[in-house]
Amino acid sequence: MNDAAAKLLGAGLAMGLGAIGPGVGLGIMIGKALESIARQPEVAGDVRTNMFIGIGVTEAVALYAFVVALILIFVA
Amino acid sequence: MRHPWRWIVGLLVLGFLILLAILPGGAKQQFEVAGEFQREVLIKLPTVGPFDLSVTKTVAYLWLTVAVVVVVAIAIARSLKLQPGRFQYAMEAMYELARDGIVGGVMKSGKKQWFPYIGGAFFFVLTCNLIGLIPLPFGEHHQTAFYAATANLNVTLMLALCTFLFTHYAGVRKNGALRYVKAWAPSGAPPVLKQIIWLIHVVSEIFRLISLSVRLFANMVAGHAILAVFFAMALIFQSYLVGLALQGASVLIYMFEIFVAFIQAFIFAILSAVYIGGALDQDH
Repeated sequence: MNDAAAKLLGAGLAMGLGAIGPGVGLGIMIGKALESIARQPEVAGDVRTNMFIGIGVTEAVALYAFVVALILIFVA
Repeated sequence: MRHPWRWIVGLLVLGFLILLAILPGGAKQQFEVAGEFQREVLIKLPTVGPFDLSVTKTVAYLWLTVAVVVVVAIAIARSLKLQPGRFQYAMEAMYELARDGIVGGVMKSGKKQWFPYIGGAFFFVLTCNLIGLIPLPFGEHHQTAFYAATANLNVTLMLALCTFLFTHYAGVRKNGALRYVKAWAPSGAPPVLKQIIWLIHVVSEIFRLISLSVRLFANMVAGHAILAVFFAMALIFQSYLVGLALQGASVLIYMFEIFVAFIQAFIFAILSAVYIGGALDQDH
């Protein structure tokens, strides 16, 4: 397999496999936030704020995989 | 057959769509997604030492963002009325979000002192992200193109570096350098484990800098790449039918990009508040 093909394959694998973990994690976290809002609606504002912080941190992990894919395609 | 005209109109629409599908679509054009992020030099200035001072597209967008933020701030500060109009209402809502939601909701001490930085970071990053969604003629060869200043790792690295420096400055100023650094290891831990935890904390502090900058950068780059692909998908597929079918999808993904712009500015500001608040209230 030549260099360019290996790089593209690596980029595809990096992004694809790297999006599994954050996807599952986001689903669990947002589900729990929805449950807690349904259980106690008066803390909805606090729960929502902390949920957004959690979303930001978790999606960053998926974006590290994206950056690795970009590096493989354009830089390496 | 009741309502025959409905069947006729339906057949005409179907025929039109089939015609669109089989027509050879457009001229054969290449489309490079990476061309959106090229940095073209606009005004060439001399190089001072290791720094190349020439004005690139990113620098022009940053100046534009600063101009917009300053003009909007001066305009709203000079026209405050007791009964707010729509513009003042929107600005007050965002100010309240920054003051009570971000700083007030997360930091325990130092709220008044650090609100200017965190509010300023929020508004600056928000304006940068939103200006990136307006097509401006700074593209290559003076084409009209989309570009966000925050889609550049240098810009986001400098913003995250400000947060990083302010975090440690706040901690050192409050507790003194030695006590601040010593508090990174929990006090009731066995001797060897304490040093290891301290080292892990140092690594996590450095990783906060990287993650804060890369999060904003990668979100903006990914958003603009998806926008570029959706807008040009008719060129890529070379079919009119795909171009027609993707008008609605392009609008939806553009609205999602506006949402992402707000969310990323909010997350940058609130994580800065969490880090600075954590450095100020270390015995928690």
